[in-house]
Amino acid sequence: MNTTTPAVSPKQKAPVKKTASPQQMPSSSKKLLRKVEPYIWISPSIILMAIFIVTPIVKVFQLSMSKVTRAGKLKGFNNFENFTNVLKSPAFSLVLKNTLVWTIAVVIISTVLGFVLALILNNQFRGRKVARAIVVFPWATTLVIQASVWNFIINKDYGTLNTLLMKIGLISAPVNWTPTPGAYFAWEIACGIFVTIPFVCFCVLSGLQSIDSSYYEAATVDGAGYFQKLFSITLPLVKSSLTVSTVLNIIYVFNSFPIIWTMTKGDPANRTDTLVTYLYKLAFYNGKQGEASAVSVIGFIILLMCASIYMIYTLRKGDDDL
Amino acid sequence: MSQSANAIRKKPVSLKKVILRLLLYFVVLDVCVITLYPYFAMLCTALKNRVEIFSGNTILPVTALWSNFIDIWSRAPMAKYMLNSILIASGSTIIAMLCGIPAAYALARMRFRGQTAFLGFVIVSQMFAPVVLLIGIYQVMMQLGLTDSLLGLIFVNAAFNQAFTIWLLRGTFMGISAEMEQAATIDGCNRVQSMMKVLLPVAAPGIVTTLIFIFINAWNEYTVALCLISTDTLKPLTVGINTFNGYNMIEWQYLFAASIFAIIPVVILFMCIEKNLVSGLASGGVKG
Repeated sequence: MNTTTPAVSPKQKAPVKKTASPQQMPSSSKKLLRKVEPYIWISPSIILMAIFIVTPIVKVFQLSMSKVTRAGKLKGFNNFENFTNVLKSPAFSLVLKNTLVWTIAVVIISTVLGFVLALILNNQFRGRKVARAIVVFPWATTLVIQASVWNFIINKDYGTLNTLLMKIGLISAPVNWTPTPGAYFAWEIACGIFVTIPFVCFCVLSGLQSIDSSYYEAATVDGAGYFQKLFSITLPLVKSSLTVSTVLNIIYVFNSFPIIWTMTKGDPANRTDTLVTYLYKLAFYNGKQGEASAVSVIGFIILLMCASIYMIYTLRKGDDDL
Repeated sequence: MSQSANAIRKKPVSLKKVILRLLLYFVVLDVCVITLYPYFAMLCTALKNRVEIFSGNTILPVTALWSNFIDIWSRAPMAKYMLNSILIASGSTIIAMLCGIPAAYALARMRFRGQTAFLGFVIVSQMFAPVVLLIGIYQVMMQLGLTDSLLGLIFVNAAFNQAFTIWLLRGTFMGISAEMEQAATIDGCNRVQSMMKVLLPVAAPGIVTTLIFIFINAWNEYTVALCLISTDTLKPLTVGINTFNGYNMIEWQYLFAASIFAIIPVVILFMCIEKNLVSGLASGGVKG
């Protein structure tokens, strides 16, 4: 097999030396080349992620354990003071609770609704293509815009939801849809669900389409009812798609920033804050970068538990296809 | 005799089928209406004037004010925002693909020590959303002198899309038999040539899907841009449209008119790949 330096990136330096002239290479260096080659192929990707993902991770951990000036200068280890400050502040437990409510509510409800929607869209019916294209809309729309429209729709003074319901005759006077911070938070959750459903739906659809229809035919011949087929054929076979979408959603929703930022900015008094909006305010409004980093690290630790489940699962699956 | 028995047995089934069909259409219609409602509200509002919006009495605009769609271009540097969004999205896509294709190729076609570890890292990296790392990203950008620059945003977007790119492309490449590339190698092609000439054309549908997906992600990105970009003329659309969302008053008609410009390209692109996305999202392989 003839191997040459792949022209993938100008950045790689060390391995290039070894691949100088492939034609006249003795067999031992050819062997070495074959060993090194895969690393050359993955190096651009590794360099990119090292600079823009790994370094920020290291920085955040460093900041979280250091005394940081408002200008962002590190002033040495401060005995986990950032963490104790964060954990002591009364806002933090509220924010943590909000984050859990937000994540769990959005992920569970959108998974259930997305799954049902996928079952519906998997039927053959006229207009199915159009319906699918429409369902994609919220996924394709950037969250800021989606959130500002919902913010407009539910406005108590001039929102279109009130106008619409009054025109239909369901209500006679404008309703204040967001009387309490809790109600506002519930609307934010609804918006989160609205934009998450398409992703779940399409993951499940991809799972559903890989199911061999002969299973259903055989089950019908055996006299199985709809729900029997659902629970003994469909669910077990789309389980892997559902797991992937659920785990990814936990991560995305947990880290979701634009919806809450656009609708309430976490106000009033942290009542609608989640960890990410809270840490954004700490870092960029209050200049407490150390404490904000500590919040980040706490977030990682929570997510790491979810990610490790996902990683074990996908790696096992990946080994099967190899 | 047997015929009539068949007819009797068939009839209730078909009635049930009709009801189920109707129910299906009813649900699908509802879903579509609810999904499209925000867009409908957005369009109607974009065509109203201020007074009409704040009176909250009308659903459809009394007279469609198409001039709102023209006004936004002079009220804010919309053309700049648009251009920035295009530059950021295309730049991120190019870099993510240039780095992702070789990595996915190596993962799909070669075996090496650390392969599982690399794959594991790729998966775990999805856990770190840019928001959580924002402080770290900001510091790195300061050191590189890339705060308040489009290039910085391009690199961050490309990096955070690596996981998705590699994962999807690896699946695509693994779904394509290596035999043709081996044949090409025997004919004297080297690895790069056999990948470029044999594998990539066959994998084109999967590559296009990945490409469009990264483009959309970068186009829709908000948080990092909000944090890194301070010069108004360097903002992408997602951040820029908030010009109309002022502290004292919100110019809804302009905000939504601008939003529609930001949405349309993405929705069209998304519809193009919708089919491929379904066939391979969760199974980890977009098969061409």
